[in-house]
Amino acid sequence: MKKTIGLGLAALALSAGAALAQQKSVTVAVSIPAATHGWTGGVVYHAEETAKLLEKGYPGLKVIVKTSPNGAAQANALEDLMTQKVDALVVLPFNSDELTNPVREVKKRGTFITVVDRGLKDPAIQDVYVAGNNPEFGRVAGKYFVDNLKSGNVVVFRGIPTVIDEERVSNFEKALEGSGVKVIDKQYANWNRDDAFRVMQDFLQKHPKIDAVWASDDDMALGVMEAIRQSKREDVKFVLGGAGMKEMIKRVMDGDKMIPADVSYPPSMISTAMGVTAAHFYSNAPMRGTYVLNAQLITKENAKEHYFPNSPF
Amino acid sequence: MAPVLRADRVSKSFGPVEVLSDVVLSLDPGEVHAVIGENGAGKSTLMRVLSGHLPPTKGGLVLDGEPVTLSGPVDAEHRGIVLIHQEILLADDLTIAQNLFLGREVRRGPFVDDAAMRRRAAEALAELGSTLAPDTLVRRLSIAERQFVQIARALLVPHRVVIFDEPTAVLTPIEADKLFAVIRRLRASGTAVLYISHRLPEVKAIADRVTVLRDGRLVATREIAGLEPIEMARLMVGRDMSKLYPEKPPLAGGDPVLAVRDARVPGFVDGVSFSLRRGEILGFGGLVGAGRTELFEGLMGLRPFSGAVEVDGRAMRFRDAAQAFAAGVAYVSEDRKGRGLLLGQSLRANLTLAALDRFTRGPIIDVGAEERALSGAIREFDIRARRPDLLASQLSGGNQQKLLLAKIMLLEPRIVIIDEPTRGVDIGTKEQIYRFIAGLSAQGRSVVVISSEMPELIGLCHRVLVMRNGGLAGEVGGADLTEDAIVFLATGVHEDDAARIAAGRSTHGAAPRAGHA
Amino acid sequence: MTDTALATAPARRWTMPDLTALSPFIALAALLLLGALVSDRFLTYDNLVNVATRSAFIAIIAVGATFVIASAGLDLSVGSMAALVAGVMIFVMNAVGAPGAATPGFLAALSGIVGTSPTGALVAGVGIALILSVLCGLANGLVVTYGRIEPFIVTLGTMGIFRALIVWLAAGGTITMRSFELREAYRPVYFGTLLGIPIPIVVFLAVALVGAVVLYKTAFGRHIVALGSNEDVARYSGVPIDRVRILAYAIQGLCVGIAVLVYVPRLGSATPTTGLLWELQAITAVVIGGTALKGGTGRIWGTVVGAVILELVANIMVLSSLVSEYLVGAVQGAIIIVAMLVQRSLQRRR
Repeated sequence: MKKTIGLGLAALALSAGAALAQQKSVTVAVSIPAATHGWTGGVVYHAEETAKLLEKGYPGLKVIVKTSPNGAAQANALEDLMTQKVDALVVLPFNSDELTNPVREVKKRGTFITVVDRGLKDPAIQDVYVAGNNPEFGRVAGKYFVDNLKSGNVVVFRGIPTVIDEERVSNFEKALEGSGVKVIDKQYANWNRDDAFRVMQDFLQKHPKIDAVWASDDDMALGVMEAIRQSKREDVKFVLGGAGMKEMIKRVMDGDKMIPADVSYPPSMISTAMGVTAAHFYSNAPMRGTYVLNAQLITKENAKEHYFPNSPF
Repeated sequence: MAPVLRADRVSKSFGPVEVLSDVVLSLDPGEVHAVIGENGAGKSTLMRVLSGHLPPTKGGLVLDGEPVTLSGPVDAEHRGIVLIHQEILLADDLTIAQNLFLGREVRRGPFVDDAAMRRRAAEALAELGSTLAPDTLVRRLSIAERQFVQIARALLVPHRVVIFDEPTAVLTPIEADKLFAVIRRLRASGTAVLYISHRLPEVKAIADRVTVLRDGRLVATREIAGLEPIEMARLMVGRDMSKLYPEKPPLAGGDPVLAVRDARVPGFVDGVSFSLRRGEILGFGGLVGAGRTELFEGLMGLRPFSGAVEVDGRAMRFRDAAQAFAAGVAYVSEDRKGRGLLLGQSLRANLTLAALDRFTRGPIIDVGAEERALSGAIREFDIRARRPDLLASQLSGGNQQKLLLAKIMLLEPRIVIIDEPTRGVDIGTKEQIYRFIAGLSAQGRSVVVISSEMPELIGLCHRVLVMRNGGLAGEVGGADLTEDAIVFLATGVHEDDAARIAAGRSTHGAAPRAGHA
Repeated sequence: MTDTALATAPARRWTMPDLTALSPFIALAALLLLGALVSDRFLTYDNLVNVATRSAFIAIIAVGATFVIASAGLDLSVGSMAALVAGVMIFVMNAVGAPGAATPGFLAALSGIVGTSPTGALVAGVGIALILSVLCGLANGLVVTYGRIEPFIVTLGTMGIFRALIVWLAAGGTITMRSFELREAYRPVYFGTLLGIPIPIVVFLAVALVGAVVLYKTAFGRHIVALGSNEDVARYSGVPIDRVRILAYAIQGLCVGIAVLVYVPRLGSATPTTGLLWELQAITAVVIGGTALKGGTGRIWGTVVGAVILELVANIMVLSSLVSEYLVGAVQGAIIIVAMLVQRSLQRRR
């Protein structure tokens, strides 16, 4: 079973109506990485906001949000959570290998398991899987270049060498196949502004003509922009980031020429997962299966839906 | 008897500099052969050639009548030539047994056989007359005990020639006596012993033959019979050394410049009181570990210390060395390399370190003034450096000691405490240092000399205080200033016995104190 | 023997060049040559200026690290410290430039003194950044000295503390300079030039010059080297070792503060990933520059060259198309090791 749903709190709205009758007591634990990066910061923000919202919407529901700075700490946190009586666990694992077994232990106690973003080694553990779509993220971006640039030279910024990055970049390149858009260079810049700045400076030295930049991440896009500004080069037409950082969405909304669009990979997917999990207990239809949040192209027209001015991300 | 090892017209050059030329030396089985000479005379180079650490430039070695080329110290050990280093080369955090077998562990299958190593270590230690437990960590041993461990380690391999490099430099008379017993045992078993030392009375006591080197050349090889220390010194230095100690400057009366009452250093010194007068040279005798060094380190603010200290009648309490320096009190450490000099730094930086504020204009160091001070010190203290831009580590021991004295004297102290002023220093330099100390006294400065060499205390000091087990055992001065008296106070042992120990002649008739396994 | 020959010769300047001190410069020259061979865009003015400018942060921090390492210490917290100081600096500038209801009282008062103009906010931000960085350095120094704890452990601890504080301050997100006016006023500190030289280069040369004077020409510098060379000898020579050690860490803190002043105007923001691994880069720069990790030597100019070398290696990797992006890290690592091997072989020859 594979359902594709829109975004954010849609799942919550869908199930809120069902929250009528029976008075019961349900505890949902949420285990997520601590805010060590812009995106995970967004995850923490959305998790906390959604927890408040859900507790208000569903009488008797208790949501515990726990953040952990690394994989080992997250495994410990899971053990601690299990000493309390928990009906469901929503987990965004640090990495698949390290956390598969700890989550399996939780599952053995009969807990309902919702996995977010990074899949576990053994898909049989999870009741619900809510994921961003990394191949789609690359495809949407690639399509944007094909549609809007048509032909020209593009440089690509990669993140940290991971499966996520590999899926995004390979599908981006696949999407360009047969078009006039050519990737002339790519480098890792670790999803980091400073690294993106220095790599872009070097790209600008190396390539006399760059038509557009796929920064693949909003943090990196900011570094890229600063390097372009310093070089006073006019040839770069636009920079496409990714993830949906509020500063970038704002620029898209304001019609910034250099940032005409963005690709979503929303940290609010945690909200979706929490909503689905709560709905499992409060609606009549049991919620199971995989929910893929499609990467969406954010343009001036739909930017408003993706703008969360209070989120840190 | 045919010599076991012979150096045949050995020369050794470093670059254009020849440090050993045409030296001939033969070692017979069952003899103790001493090699003496000033620092830089070529003793250590010769020793390193014989033990395979250095290849000779010219000439060669003959082992059992056959010319031999040693490819390195390991090769030499395989052939039965063992060098016992002067520096302690042991791993502090391993036990004695582990150290003895380090790199040649006894194995049983893939595992080390700790029990066997412990047993054999105990045997080896007992043979040397030591009662140390093989499981003791080397860190917990005194320097003398570590040296015994080092000797035991070297003698574990089959040996025919054993080379001792100044083995008694850090030993007290009693400990040295134990060592001599070991050496005599080696001799009795037919081993040839090459013995390098500065201490001429010791050489007289232990050696059968003596070879004297000077400036890299062989001066003479003599039978010990009829060769007295004074003559050895003359051969080494090339001039008459009968007057090693200068006249003691006359002592003016007056109030004490330094008075210490009830000094305590936790774990080392327990209630010591003394006073020091202007121009006085006050000796501190005693065994290693009696608390002499700790007493003065405490006084200087370098260790926890309690007690009343008066300088010129004013109560003082030094929290660090800088405060002591400011009050005119300076201390020259016995540990030249560990606490005296920065071995990796230049002579200039070393010289001015303690008195650096005398060489600054505002915050900036006046390098010109430093250079002038260095030239002055090199001249005044006769520091022999090939070049003034050497590092301190590149000086010989004697010259390092002179540099250290020069460094402390830049502070212009009125009270100078010198701990082991001539440790590891050749006889020529000794004489210079003695004259320097007497000169300090003549200038009206007061000097404390801490020394384990009794002739030094007797020849140099107006008065000697002797410490034992952290307390003051007594005072000797004037006509009573004799080795017997000092040794008696230092050890509490009966005088006759002590006298024998002091002279290193313990074994005549009596059974060796070290005992046999 | 030969010792006597020159025993009392007047102090003479020996002109034989010290290869150890020269080796980082030789490595730099070799890298420049390599870069020129690999890419024709390498030896352009713009590229070299870009690289030198980018190396400024690490170079400035590494000058401080030279003091700490020369005194036989180590500071692993500099990267986190830089992130924290940058975050606080921006936070202060935002608060002072536009005080609101949520502004802490202290900053509101500060705003009253310096005014809410960009200049006022800048003065407040710079002042607080420098004060905070020195305090962070002092904290390291005091704990190392009086706690008698290995500097590795102490600064590993403060590394975590500073990093967590910036994450907390940024709530996991980004701290960005809010005022566009202020941003534009401050931007030239990274992108502007002084007499044709980019300001970050001017700053790092000035820091290196002052560092060299302090380390080589003052009694304090001599004490740092003595302490690193042999603590006991320093203590027995009356060197105030506690004070010297604490000051070394304070100087490191100050250098981090100065680096932050140049860093912030570049992107105008601080994130929880700011300054990640800068401590390793700074230490690497110091070691490439010829300073031994065991202490007792300090080579300021070598350190500066080391920082430039690190940045150059990365630059050459991007400019050349020889290596796939997957292998860039391996080649960078190899080049650094080769540079060190060259240096060590030169040392042995001395």
